[in-house]
Order: sequence, then C-alpha cells, then structure tokens
Amino acid sequence: MDYTKQIQEIASKLFAENKIDYFVGCKQNGFDDNQVPFLITDPQDIPKLVFNDKSVFNLTNYLKADHTRRKRVGLVVKGCDSRSLNLLLTESQLKRENVYAIGICCEGVVNEKGEKAQNCIECVMPDAVVFDELLGTPKGRKDYIANVDLKELTEKPLVERADYFSKVFENCIRCNACRHSCPLCYCAKCCIDQETSTLYNGSNTTSSAMHALMTWSLHLAGRCVDCRNCEKACPSHLPLHLLHKQNEKVIFENFQQHLAGMEKDDRGAFYKYSLTDPDDFIL
Amino acid sequence: MEAEVKTTQGAIVSVENPEITAPADWQPVIIGILCNWCSYAGSDLTGTSRIQYPPNIRIIRVPCSSRVDPWFIIKSLQATADGVLISGCHPGDCHYISGNYYARRRFLVTKKLLNFVGYHENRVQFSWVSAAEGPKFAKVVAKVTEDIKKLGPLHRYKKENF
Repeated sequence: MDYTKQIQEIASKLFAENKIDYFVGCKQNGFDDNQVPFLITDPQDIPKLVFNDKSVFNLTNYLKADHTRRKRVGLVVKGCDSRSLNLLLTESQLKRENVYAIGICCEGVVNEKGEKAQNCIECVMPDAVVFDELLGTPKGRKDYIANVDLKELTEKPLVERADYFSKVFENCIRCNACRHSCPLCYCAKCCIDQETSTLYNGSNTTSSAMHALMTWSLHLAGRCVDCRNCEKACPSHLPLHLLHKQNEKVIFENFQQHLAGMEKDDRGAFYKYSLTDPDDFIL
Repeated sequence: MEAEVKTTQGAIVSVENPEITAPADWQPVIIGILCNWCSYAGSDLTGTSRIQYPPNIRIIRVPCSSRVDPWFIIKSLQATADGVLISGCHPGDCHYISGNYYARRRFLVTKKLLNFVGYHENRVQFSWVSAAEGPKFAKVVAKVTEDIKKLGPLHRYKKENF
C-alpha cells in the first residue's frame, strides 16, 4: 500500500486551485522508519508527504483544533478514520464543505513490530465511507470478528480478570494523552477534569485511573471506531482497546448490529432506541 | 500472650477479592437512584403503606432514569457503595415519553463493562417500579440487599484501598 505519489499530486492541485487552507498528512519522523502527523500550510512542503502502511494515525484528530475547525482542510482518511470523520460531521463539529477528504481503500497498517496491526485484521470497513476522491479498489464491508484479547479475558474467572485489570491499569500516569488523541473527544471541558470532582482530580491511583478510563470509554461507547489512536499515544502502553472493544461487542450483539460511523446521520447507539432492546437483566 | 486469632467462621468473603472478609453481621451500603415520577413515588408509597424494607439503601432522586450517567454508578462504587440499584418507570410509562428506553441501552453496556473489569454482575442492578408498586419496591430492595450481602464488601478499586 503506497499512495504517496497520488496524494502529493492531489494536494498540490488543491493548493493551486485554492480549495484548501491546510492539508493534513504524514511525513517521516527523521530518525527511523516511523512517521508523524504533518500539517501543511505552504505548498512547498508537499514533497515531504508520505502515505504507506506505516501511516498509522487517525488524522481526523487534527480537524477538531481551534485553528483548523473553521478553515478549509484537506486530509487523507483510511476506513476507520472516515468513520470518525462521519461522526464528527453528524455531530456538527465540522462543515462538510470545509473538508476535502481523500479516501483510501486501506489494506491495513503495521504495528510497532512490523506485523499487520490487530485492529486491521479485525477491521470491518477497510474502504473510506466519506470521501471526495477515492484511491485504490474498494473491497467492501467485512464480517464482524470478536477481538482476540477480549475473548481470552472473558473466558477467565472474575477474580483473575479483576487481578489483571488492577495490575495493568496501575501503570496509568493520568496524562490524558488517550483523551487528547481521540478524534471524538472534543468537549472543551471534560467531565473527568471537573474541579469539584475529588474522586478523579489530581489523584494518580489505580482506582482513579480505572474509574476515569471506564467513564471515558462509556462516553465513547457506540461512537468508538477502533482506530486505536489512544493506544498509540499512551506512554504506558495500556491495552485501552479492551474497554472499547467490550462496549462495541455488547452494542453489536444487542442493538441491531450497530457499528459506529458507518452511515450518514447515525449519531451512535445511545442516541436511538428500539422497543425490542433486551431487558431481561432488569428486575 | 497469644496473638488474637481472627475467627473466620460465618464471615462473609468478598467475591472480587477472596482475601477480604467481613464479620457475619456486616451490612452493605447500597445507593438507590430513583426516577422522580415512578420509582420515587413508589418508594414513598412503600413508606406510607408501612411496608418494611431493609434500611441499607440510600436514595437519590433524579428527574428520569435517563438522567443517570454511567459515571454516577462508577462514582458510587468508587466512593462508598457496595452496590447500586437504579430504578425507573416501566417501558412505555416514562414521563418524558422515551427516557427509559435510552437508559435501558446505557445500563446494559455499563453492567457488562463493570462485570468485564471485575465487578460481580449483581453489584449493579436495575428495576422498573411504578408509582403504584409499593410492595414491589420493598421486594426489589430486599432482593438486592440479600444479593449484595452474599457478595461481601466491595474492596476492589475502592478509593481508600488503592
């Protein structure tokens, strides 16, 4: 998967026609093989743009910043990124005419070991769903596969599972990089940061980390698109996808196979209801 | 002098942390979050009808069951509660037409997530109680209290313990 040349051509065309103010892409980080997100305002920087299977970032995260929100922005979106773009458009965070999206028919990106990433193996929609221009040949929607790590954990007894989570989430340093890297966390004031909340604020304990992350994942339930930007940003390498995948699985199994951001004007599983939703757990 | 031997006979063991035990007469703290229009009126009826129910429940009144952010449940469990009971109107009876349908979706996901990270599934329970169901409210509270007494004290992820 290498779309570097096509993307450079499209970007220079967009700047020449004065269709965009910014372009968001990826460039080499300068000291190893990996890449960093790259915001272009000057067409001179276009030759630095790259896009291949190491372009792991969900670039829609850079649309929600104050200086890009009301400007015309061009960007590259993979399948998962376009789903989060879809949600941002539906939730009125962006105007469609301000975004020029170059859709990619993604073949999967690699993880830090150089293997195909787990979320790409389990990907349901490799092709972009929102785009102005599509590169590559569409492969269509795939079947939903339950996450491997999730399967292993749910088979364990309750005490072992609790031990696992208290051990792993002990490493959280409460830097909130997961929240800042999430394209769908755009609230100006996050409920986790409430100044009156003595439970979360300033305390760096397993308890507060666990509860803050659970609250965060429940606020993203039915909206998370499994791009794993949060995991890439986490300095402690926490398995944050477990919480999101658990919610996604419950929602998929119980609420008419709902998956976030697949359709236009779909605000997520918690913004609608069905009379036949399961209620056997209610007394 | 012999060291004091702690008797474990009849003690209640915490389900999530088997090392933690409580004496046999231990009483759980349960937070009850009730909807203003049905369950709160229902609990009022229980009181005015002089029906007895366990005093372990501490009631919080909310406008609707869909007012309950999953955060309320998480926060209760982190602070003092050993269990949480959330009650609202029956499906179709919501004062705000559809609030409890939205709430039902959220509750299922919250319950499953809490169970996934290591809370017993009976720690958080939900019920539909209407304003006319005083006896039902007493039964629900009795059942939830009994369930949580069996589970033992909640130690995992408590604020003071970690």
